[in-house]
Amino acid sequence: MGHRVTLRVNGEQWDLDLDPAETLLEALRGRVGVKSPKVGCERGDCGSCTVLLNGQTVRSCLVLAVEADGAEITTLEGIGCEGLAPVQRALLEHNSFQCGFCAPGIVLSAVELLAAHPHPTRHQVQEALAGNLCRCTGYEPIIQAILAAGEEP
Amino acid sequence: MSGIVGRADRANAMEDLRHVGRSEVRIDGLDKVTGAAVFVDDMDFGPDLLHAAIVESPHPHARIVSIDTSEAAALPGVVRVVTGADFPFTFGLYMQDRQVFARDVVRFVGEQVAAVIARDPRTAREAARLVRVEYQERRAVFDPLEALATEAPRLHPGLGDYPHVPWFFPEPESNVAHRRRTIRGDLEAGFAAADVVLEDAYRVPRYAHCALEPHVVVARQDRAGRLTVWSASQSPYTQRHVFAQALEPLGLSHQDIRVITPYVGGGFGGKAGVSMEILGAVLATAVRGHPVKLRWSREQEFYNTYQRQGLVARLKVGARRDGTITALEHHLFWDAGAYVEYGANVVNAAGLSATGPYRIPAISLESVCVYTNLPPGGPYRGFGYSEFSFGIESHMTRLARAIGMDPVEFRRRNAIVEGDLLPYGALMNPSGLHEAIDRAAEAIAWGEEESPREPGHRVGKGFALFWKAPAMPPNASSASFLKFNEDGSINVTVSGMELGQGYLTVMAQVVAEVLAVPPDKVRVETPDTDRNPYEWQTVASHITWSCGNAVRAAALEAREKIFQVVHAAHGLEEGSLYLEDECVRCDTDPDFCLPLRDFVVAGIETPDGTYRGGPIVGSGMFMPEFSSTHADPATGQGGHPNVHYTVGAAGIILEVDPETGKMEVRRAALAVDAGKALNPALLEGQVTGGLLQGLATVLYEDMRFDEAGRLLNPNFTDYKIPTAHDIPDEVVPIIVEVPQPDGPFGARGVGEHTMIAAAPMVADAVEAAVGIRFNEMPITAERVALAVARREEPDTWAST
Amino acid sequence: MTLTRSFTYVKPGSLDEALALLAEHGRAAAVLAGGTDLISWMRDDLVAPEVVVDIKGLPGLEAITLVDGTLRLGALATFSDVLRSPVVSAAFPVLAEMAGVVASVGIRNRATVAGNLCSAVPSNDAGPVLLAADALVQIAATDGERTIPLAEWFRGPRRTALRGGELVTRITVPLPDRHGGCYLKLGRYRGEDLAQASVAVLALPGDHYRIAFGAVAPATVRAAAIEESLEGRPLDEATLAAAADLVPEVISPISDLRASAGYRTHMCRVMLRRALRAAAERLADDGPPYGERLL
Ligand code: FES
Ligand code: FES
Repeated sequence: MGHRVTLRVNGEQWDLDLDPAETLLEALRGRVGVKSPKVGCERGDCGSCTVLLNGQTVRSCLVLAVEADGAEITTLEGIGCEGLAPVQRALLEHNSFQCGFCAPGIVLSAVELLAAHPHPTRHQVQEALAGNLCRCTGYEPIIQAILAAGEEP
Repeated sequence: MSGIVGRADRANAMEDLRHVGRSEVRIDGLDKVTGAAVFVDDMDFGPDLLHAAIVESPHPHARIVSIDTSEAAALPGVVRVVTGADFPFTFGLYMQDRQVFARDVVRFVGEQVAAVIARDPRTAREAARLVRVEYQERRAVFDPLEALATEAPRLHPGLGDYPHVPWFFPEPESNVAHRRRTIRGDLEAGFAAADVVLEDAYRVPRYAHCALEPHVVVARQDRAGRLTVWSASQSPYTQRHVFAQALEPLGLSHQDIRVITPYVGGGFGGKAGVSMEILGAVLATAVRGHPVKLRWSREQEFYNTYQRQGLVARLKVGARRDGTITALEHHLFWDAGAYVEYGANVVNAAGLSATGPYRIPAISLESVCVYTNLPPGGPYRGFGYSEFSFGIESHMTRLARAIGMDPVEFRRRNAIVEGDLLPYGALMNPSGLHEAIDRAAEAIAWGEEESPREPGHRVGKGFALFWKAPAMPPNASSASFLKFNEDGSINVTVSGMELGQGYLTVMAQVVAEVLAVPPDKVRVETPDTDRNPYEWQTVASHITWSCGNAVRAAALEAREKIFQVVHAAHGLEEGSLYLEDECVRCDTDPDFCLPLRDFVVAGIETPDGTYRGGPIVGSGMFMPEFSSTHADPATGQGGHPNVHYTVGAAGIILEVDPETGKMEVRRAALAVDAGKALNPALLEGQVTGGLLQGLATVLYEDMRFDEAGRLLNPNFTDYKIPTAHDIPDEVVPIIVEVPQPDGPFGARGVGEHTMIAAAPMVADAVEAAVGIRFNEMPITAERVALAVARREEPDTWAST
Repeated sequence: MTLTRSFTYVKPGSLDEALALLAEHGRAAAVLAGGTDLISWMRDDLVAPEVVVDIKGLPGLEAITLVDGTLRLGALATFSDVLRSPVVSAAFPVLAEMAGVVASVGIRNRATVAGNLCSAVPSNDAGPVLLAADALVQIAATDGERTIPLAEWFRGPRRTALRGGELVTRITVPLPDRHGGCYLKLGRYRGEDLAQASVAVLALPGDHYRIAFGAVAPATVRAAAIEESLEGRPLDEATLAAAADLVPEVISPISDLRASAGYRTHMCRVMLRRALRAAAERLADDGPPYGERLL
């Protein structure tokens, strides 16, 4: 029952033969080998598996890989390939992350936010992050970093 | 205004420090913001990787009559099916009461009974459903007080035979796995001398750690017999030790076992010791040559790892009108779950310290570890102190009000100071508790009225003290190796875990300070027990202190060697040499400047063309040599079980909507005496993170079980942990620095402490705002709203 | 592996093809749009379709348009589409207010309004606002189309009037000329949560009100009795109190893990009062901006 599927992951094309029951998260980690999307809950609750699908954040545990046929997928590996993106730099300098397990999802949520709102308010940042659980940081250092990235001209 | 304010101003450093005490950027930061950080689940093990799935008990208490694995074994793709008959081993950290697989009896819903190993995870899961287990159900008990009754079902008839550490006192013929008594002074006289005696009970439910990374283990026993385990763990060496103990019947000892622990996605105590990892280790021996992987689902993460234990506490405290506490009696009954191999030490720790940070002449603490048919209890950030502090601190405020004294002033009068007697009779270490009280109170403008932001809302303030000591065996120790590279950079190996607290960075700063190199030239890697030296575990907030001392010792040894080499080559007095900016310099010869990179590997060439020196390495170790658990079992007096206490104070401004019960934290200030903040930014990170974790336990988290012992909310849909919307408007971290004499640069641990004060201060603030005192956690919006509504409209609510 | 059972995945190229597939497989087929419910239900083995029909990309199902005073939401319109739609924010802002409190961005980018109605969990967010607005569900099948009022749509938890072989193609909302609206949702905290109770209010000129509650009955319910009690009366304290007193007659909440029946009832009263006030003020153009937190 294999399905031929073409995924474009971080600009690279992958032609895969997939079981339709495979989630995008599983295909990315297991077939393509990008490991930044994490398995946190597999039921859409935590945001650890966040990736950009045609520029929008989705929970890759709630997307079938076959659904992403032909789509552009960006994971953290695809952000700031040439040096850090400004938001990554801000997160680094603010010591925003602790264990870092939530970081891949949070960076992508921040990227989506800043693309739509280059100078977000605190509330917009909170709203953009609300689907990405982080147990370590209390969020404040992450919010501060994203606000700082948004203040840059 | 919002966000972190008041980057805590700190006392001037006693020494002229260049790297320690600065908010350096984390050395693991780049790995984390780029996605380069590798966690166990991210590692590839090749096509022969096998996957395991677990057969779990559906009953809270039952006898296993039979297990039929034939159908599962016949499923194509299944490699092995194993049960307790294959691995009849017990294990445990402080008491060996746990079995690898339940053999005769299951004691909680979700307990592992058998495992299927298959070529892919889906087949493993399918096959696990085909394992037929016949059970004979037994009466179960879920409440610790009920479990104490004589007619209660007994969970562990073999309790008397379980090996355990000498400071546990199990009571065979009952469900009491351990009872810690700490008794000092004349209690009766103390209460008689009091003007007011307040007695009440407090209840704290179970909580889940909710590290974002679930437990995961991969293990392989190679054809030569060597067992390698990759685990998401806080405790590589402890795991190796527990594996070696448990698997001794298979002929394995420490030298045959290797534990590798890459980055871990949060721990909070949940990944301390050994829980599901034992399964990976034994399953690997069943399929030699193959790596086997077991990853907990989020549900399993909730119901089959350690949980924070529930507590029922009965508390009686007396005080005189002048504000002096005269006596305290505290009975703590812990819902410790089906196995207490780790949890009993939480009970023990509480039994040593459940007075709170107060000077009290007469005390009686009794902390009782009770088996129940719920998942095993265990360590959780705060290690018992969060649980008992809810009662203690609530009680202190109430007692102060009962004698008509300001609760902060009451605390000031009774707060423990250096040299005071600790509950178990040793002396209190230096501490900045009074400074913490003053600064936390000031940060929330204690005593001043605050007006609500919304009409109809009420504002209340709350205040609490906290203390906590590391709970460790007296010989918990740390070690470190260090080596220089050709470019003057340094590799440090240690076996503490970077749980996110910033430990690797702080260790790099310690080395940088001693050896005068920038921290970014120091690499500190995650552990591998074959390569990195010993560390007990990354728990108890002891790692900065203990491993920091070991790392400092290693750096000092390397420095010593550097000076010896320079002396040998250049004839300069060792005592006149010092390090600065990656160079060796000399007091007596200001022009002398020898870059480290020139000789720390290559050595120094002398005029005759021969060389002196060689690759510089250092090693260091640390053991708290004054710690002892030898004490009178009846009173707990006489030993020195705790190395030191870290103390602090916290305050909160809470706005409550009495109609909806919704609460908003407008400001939370937390002052902690870190001894010395080695990296203030990372320390502040512990405050923001820990405070929120604590606030969540009081505002909405709690584990809910049905009457059959089944966890009803094993997921983030219904076990709510805070999101970015659920944070205080403002967090004020305050760093107090009264040095710890035996700490590296004066430092002591703070990681767990930041969540302890949250619950009682919220209870205080709620009472201040709406006039209702809650003695049971969590204090949810629902409970507040309904309590207010019942008070305002008793008629409407009479029936509910 | 997240999903234990496999299935046949089909992505039809046209509506006719999709309907033919649904007709062929009937109840064994599941329609996949955003998938946020379907995939998690498959994971939990609550459903086990043999065929999954992915309707994404079907022409004409995505658009949000306003035609002759009627708002048309294509079956593929996501909550994020609703939030971003200038048509919605101009003509029916309370719908955006609702979309803004659904889960979180990553879910809203995927989950569709129509899918939310089809899942029909008692706590669904789309139901109350659309029910208060007398929305209609347009349904297609190989043997023709039909339209049913949302009032006849919900048949209980996870049960709707949709038959095997049918596909929801569009939700239409006949918009009142002038209105003020308010959607309030009770969660355990500010972050993403399923509604423990929700209320939608539309205030129309002349003191007409339309009200619906979510998560406090097996299905989303319209509060006809309360609407009547308010009819033609200015919203003073007495009227509000009288309306709130009728709440227990309209709802039938349960106690569960998320909230007790008592709290749900209490909060429905509180939320009703606040929502009525906000909707009336918004009708008069001096209310709190849509999306502002009122709980
Ligand atoms: S793993 Fe996808 S949301 Fe948690
Ligand atoms: S940094 Fe650990 S979960 Fe966010």
